[in-house]
Amino acid sequence: MANETGIFHGEPKPYANPYLVGVLLGLVLLASFVILGAGLGASGGIAHIGASISMAVSAPHTLSSEYFGKWGSTPLNYYLVFMFVGTFVGALLSALLANRIRLQVERGAASSVGRRLGYALAGGVIVGFASRLARGCTSGQALSGGALLLSGSLVFLVCLFASGYAAAWLVRRQWHD
Amino acid sequence: MIDTLYSLDALGTSQAFFLALLIGFGFGFALERAGFSSSRRLAGVFYFTDMAVVKVMFSTLITAMMGLSYLVGFGWIQLDQIFLMPTIYGAQIVGGLLFGVGFVMGGWCPGTAAAGLAAGRIDALVFLLGVTGGSILFNEVFPVIHSLYKAGDHGTQMAYTTVGMSRNGFILALTLVGVAAFWLSEWAEKARTGRGTYLGSPFLKAFSMVLVVLAVGLFVLSPATTGATAKLTGAVTVTAVDEKALMERVEQALDHIEPEELADRLMAGEPDLVVVDVRPAVEFNAFHIRGALNVPLAQLVETLQPYQSKGLIVLYSNGMTHPAQARDSLQRQGFGNVYLLTDGLQGFRGRCLKPVSLRSEPLTTVDAARVNAWRAFFAAPAAPAAPAVSAEVGVFISPLNAAMPRVVETDWLAARLGTPGLKVIDLRPQPEYNAAHIPGTLSLNVESFRGNMGGVPSVLLPPPMLAAQFSLLGLQPSDTIVLVSGDKLYDTTLAGMAFERLGHMDYAVLNGGYAKWAQEGRPTDAALPTVTESKYPVKKDADDFTVDFQAVAAQLGKPDVVIIDVRPADFYTGKKSDEARAGHIPGAVSRPFTEDVITSSNKVVSFKPADALAAAYSQIIPSKATEVIVHCRTGHQASQTFFMLKRLLGYTNVRWYDAGWTEWAARSELPIVNETQDVKSKK
Repeated sequence: MANETGIFHGEPKPYANPYLVGVLLGLVLLASFVILGAGLGASGGIAHIGASISMAVSAPHTLSSEYFGKWGSTPLNYYLVFMFVGTFVGALLSALLANRIRLQVERGAASSVGRRLGYALAGGVIVGFASRLARGCTSGQALSGGALLLSGSLVFLVCLFASGYAAAWLVRRQWHD
Repeated sequence: MIDTLYSLDALGTSQAFFLALLIGFGFGFALERAGFSSSRRLAGVFYFTDMAVVKVMFSTLITAMMGLSYLVGFGWIQLDQIFLMPTIYGAQIVGGLLFGVGFVMGGWCPGTAAAGLAAGRIDALVFLLGVTGGSILFNEVFPVIHSLYKAGDHGTQMAYTTVGMSRNGFILALTLVGVAAFWLSEWAEKARTGRGTYLGSPFLKAFSMVLVVLAVGLFVLSPATTGATAKLTGAVTVTAVDEKALMERVEQALDHIEPEELADRLMAGEPDLVVVDVRPAVEFNAFHIRGALNVPLAQLVETLQPYQSKGLIVLYSNGMTHPAQARDSLQRQGFGNVYLLTDGLQGFRGRCLKPVSLRSEPLTTVDAARVNAWRAFFAAPAAPAAPAVSAEVGVFISPLNAAMPRVVETDWLAARLGTPGLKVIDLRPQPEYNAAHIPGTLSLNVESFRGNMGGVPSVLLPPPMLAAQFSLLGLQPSDTIVLVSGDKLYDTTLAGMAFERLGHMDYAVLNGGYAKWAQEGRPTDAALPTVTESKYPVKKDADDFTVDFQAVAAQLGKPDVVIIDVRPADFYTGKKSDEARAGHIPGAVSRPFTEDVITSSNKVVSFKPADALAAAYSQIIPSKATEVIVHCRTGHQASQTFFMLKRLLGYTNVRWYDAGWTEWAARSELPIVNETQDVKSKK
């Protein structure tokens, strides 16, 4: 194994110290506050991508809808869309450097691919919906709003973990080995 | 002081997009470093097997919170330069509860899924597709959940205010909670998996210590403003009755004025409304509410003496503390008419000046127009600062009374949309209008202003017929008309000729047309406007600018008359023709109408800058008073040159040969010049 190197071979490097990574992430968030005047965001970019898909399917319907309509006819022209692309590229570089790229469905050994992907899809739909309702996700509300000490963001953070822990037992099988 | 892109309203610029990309890069890199490209690691937090999520989140939150507080403490940035999201308890509680379920089911959240996708995780891809679908679903059911979306809206709400702590106290408490969470996480990992790498390690001890020290340091850097002990005045007799009255007003929030109300009152030019900015002069000069006076706290009583108990005095600062203390003091000294601006300048910016496009909550058309009007009034680039600030008080220019530009920008229109007497006419093809248009606009096919007269097709109709059409559109002579085109800017100027023919000079062209409006993400809808038929008066003598072929023929050979042929160059030379004869009027110069506009990538057609146009035409026309005749094939394209010369550049003697080359070519007795060798005359 020692001579096996390259992207899909060899051992992935160990994860960095979570506290120091947290400090790094905090500095990125601080830079976002200072430069952009807005925090980090991920779900907003995805929602704008959703709006552009909706535009492609039916522009009049999208433009006349109450929520997407206000984003105009070119919803991709939004800073969070660019941030989302940057997030992907930044993670790609880090994963390459750490030899962590694996084409796989991550799941417990005893769980089927179908169950895991079904959960991922359903979870995604719920998260997508909830992010719009709450005006942000873990990045935009919990982290960014939390660091700004906004009441609603901290309430969101608490609710998120409360329901996450409450529901964890129900969906535990996808991780069983 | 740092200006954020948000505070400059520049988050929609390509510069912002690029910087967002870079910041996103750092975000993604850090997420992946943390191992958040693994759903198993993320989900581990919910089973106490891998607590990295808690450790990273709290470290991030505390770092950014602390960093920002230090920057604010050093005076390098102000909190109101950052977009502070509104607190909407109902939506955020329900959203948070749902989100938690989705998070634990999916094993991802949106940001980490991007990292997971980069690391090849197929479940991340599926999750992201779900998030996209969930967003679209949200849009589809939005009308149904509208009330939940707005439930418990408290505007910008700082947690320390909500719980009644000082900012520094809250930060220290949150830091202690974070540190406790770190230790508990390590402990849980050790209990559950036997790891707990950092439990009791020198690193974690040092890290915890540094965070707590930094939190305590904030108390030294920016001591909290200590309540009412900062006395503003000396000996003032305070009676119990006064104090009770004050407290009652405070309790009932009678002493507050909402930002929206203040904005409307200022725009309405309300007399006896004195708005006082109590911030330092430096901040006042950087930005203030239009019409506000800058008065240092120490001089408040003295300066405001003339306004005591007369009209309304509104105090504001960035937040609420200083104005509240000042209000209390003024009240004790007999001012019964002092109000506080709710949420201060921060609230005013967030609630009145935040661009519609950046708002997370959708606005109705009416509200959006209101915001745009506020922005145009308060957020427009300030005119050269008037040295005597007090002169601004009460001075007000009605949006429509101000000198009306001939070519208006989208901002101009957005700020006035919905103003009574403003009629917007959309000249795009009807299907495009039906799909989406600027709210409240009338649709018009500009060809309906033209017809066959004297055997010449496509000439502008006579005044009675135009007036009849104006009546059907419900137009009044006093209306301000804004004409909106698709990619044919010259549709607006042809319609403009109809208005000129009836002497209706209060019309303007929307630069860039609908395409620019839509591209900027401004509000649109598909509703038809309500129109009440009017009786538009027929005015017959207003048209002194349309000329016929005899008038043009009479000018031939005159050196002081400039005839401009605005058709494409190939038609001028005679290389191309779709008329009876090819070529041009003897002595005419070629200046294609397309030279005067810029078409950007997505069909946004705008006039070139006025100075560029002025320079170009100064080469063609000797003086502003020179007699100029413009023509094209049917009068359509030439209307653009006419408008540009007469209404933008100020040429006073411009004529329009409406019948144009269609007529000239067909009248074989009229002379022509054909520059091509092979004469393609069909006659």
